[in-house]
Amino acid sequence: MAKIIAIHSFRGGTGKSNTTANLACLLAREGYRVGMVDTDIQSPGIHVLFDLDTNDIPYALNDYLWGKCDIARAAYDVTKTLGADATGRLFLVPSSIRAGDIARVLHYGYDVTLLKEGYRQLIRQLPLDYLFIDTHPGINEETLMSIATTDVLLIILRPDQQDYQGTAVTVEVSRQLEVPEMYIVLNKVPVRVDREALAAKAVSAYDCPVVGVLPHDEDMLDLGSSGIFSLRYPDHIISREMRRIVQRLTP
Amino acid sequence: MIGCGWGLVYGVLNSLSNIMLLPSAPFISIRPQIALPMAVGILLNPPAGFVVGFIGNMIGDGISGFGIWKFWNWHLANGLMGFIPGLIRYFGIVKIGTVREFGILQMSVVLASGIAVAFAVLLDVCFLHHMTFPSSFPSWILPAFLTDAVNGFVLVPVILLAFRKILLTLEIRTICLVTILLLLAVFSTAVSITLSILDDLVSQEAVIENFYIAGIVSVFLLVVGFLASVVFVRRFTDPVIRMSRASQEVESGHYDLSLLDPVSSRNDELGRLSRVLQKMAKTVQERERSLRQQVQDLQIKIDRKRKDEEVREIVETDYFRELKKKAKAFRSS
Ligand SMILES: Nc1ncnc2c1ncn2[C@@H]1O[C@H](COP(=O)(O)OP(=O)(O)O)[C@@H](O)[C@H]1O
Ligand SMILES: [Mg+2]
Repeated sequence: MAKIIAIHSFRGGTGKSNTTANLACLLAREGYRVGMVDTDIQSPGIHVLFDLDTNDIPYALNDYLWGKCDIARAAYDVTKTLGADATGRLFLVPSSIRAGDIARVLHYGYDVTLLKEGYRQLIRQLPLDYLFIDTHPGINEETLMSIATTDVLLIILRPDQQDYQGTAVTVEVSRQLEVPEMYIVLNKVPVRVDREALAAKAVSAYDCPVVGVLPHDEDMLDLGSSGIFSLRYPDHIISREMRRIVQRLTP
Repeated sequence: MIGCGWGLVYGVLNSLSNIMLLPSAPFISIRPQIALPMAVGILLNPPAGFVVGFIGNMIGDGISGFGIWKFWNWHLANGLMGFIPGLIRYFGIVKIGTVREFGILQMSVVLASGIAVAFAVLLDVCFLHHMTFPSSFPSWILPAFLTDAVNGFVLVPVILLAFRKILLTLEIRTICLVTILLLLAVFSTAVSITLSILDDLVSQEAVIENFYIAGIVSVFLLVVGFLASVVFVRRFTDPVIRMSRASQEVESGHYDLSLLDPVSSRNDELGRLSRVLQKMAKTVQERERSLRQQVQDLQIKIDRKRKDEEVREIVETDYFRELKKKAKAFRSS
């Protein structure tokens, strides 16, 4: 049975899109059929990592939510990103970056139950082994819908007080929604910090497994939001951590 | 009370020493015990020093048969000698641990002798008429000043050391050593002149005259030499004292060692030591800062009350209740 994996964070810029893209690529390289949905409609980002110019594409997630198309029509095959030796397949459902489309969502909103229905259809039609949901930061109706739908919730946080506090709320709310598997990933951890000690602290603070502690890295910044870090620098500590997370997600 | 007790001791010592008269000074004896009222004035307070000096001199005169009131002006002078050195406590000197404090102490002793003798002489010339000014100078005034100043200078520090009023710091040890050398020089002169009395060819008067000229020169040299050594010793011990203070600073968590800058610019072993000290302080400071940062980094503080409030705001909406009901069905479909 397919697994839905939602990636969430309390604030923006935490590394959701990056982590989503890297984990999805690593899984697809192992031979799985993997999908990604960018539900961060207000500030889409993940398409940049796959060189997908949303001005050129006919449909986006927005069109599905407004009933203009099937969700599978908005899914684009980005398998070529993985390189020639990949055995799996990788699909991306981007959000529109057209200002008008974003404004429309902000103004009118949309029926969030369509999200859940969309995930189901993607899994069935493409078909998929794993579906990643790149969420909007913070908690609102749409992120709650994704949390209620997902099988695995990956909460990403940076080591600062605001994220610590916000994550505590997310963890508690997600427990009430009975998410079957919930993991914490610490990102942008300053290199001076003892990562193992920090992980132990987080485990006891949230009573939740910490599956990855990623250092803040200048190479990652240089790459910016173009390129998949773990494919470009497979021996880097961040890439190793990503593979460790993937191991927790696969049987 | 204590003052009176020590006064009695001082008095008895006075009566004993009245036998040891200075050469050619019929009324002035060698009086090492003068250090007693001075030390009491410093250790207790100026009035106590005054009482010891005053009563002691009175008792001494009484026992020696001079009569209790005959030399009342000298009672007052002895009182002053106890009183004046005691005043150093009002210059902020509680313990003597630096050359500066030691210098003030010694000057107060010499000054007290000078003022007291001048005071006694003034009263005598005005009211008692035992002496007349120029002729009494070699037989009364000068010997009194010399014996009191030199004895005080030598013995007051010894007593204060015994009572732990003087701390044996590096500075004090050094100035004490220099003082001893000075005194040795002065005494060797005094002894050689005194021995020349035995020489029959030299007239008694000439020897005595020499003796007092040498006395004046000696006290002058003692004071000037001492003050010069104060300056010299301070320059010599300053780097070490700064480094000692610097290490105390580091111990109490202050790592700014700019007080060592003048030492670090020296070209010798002390300069090298000082530079190493400054560098070490910087390293320790860095390490401590990073350690504190590490502890800070590992702190995950969660305001439980605020969290519970925010969670309640979310889960008590109708939307959330509906969602919660449906969530199970979503996942199994
Ligand atoms: N471990 C890291 N070290 C350095 N930069 C990072 C790291 N993780 C993410 N970033 C950078 O942070 C920025 C935001 O990441 P992104 O994945 O877009 O966050 P989100 O989707 O949560 O808003 C990107 O520029 C990304 O390159
Ligand atoms: Mg994003």
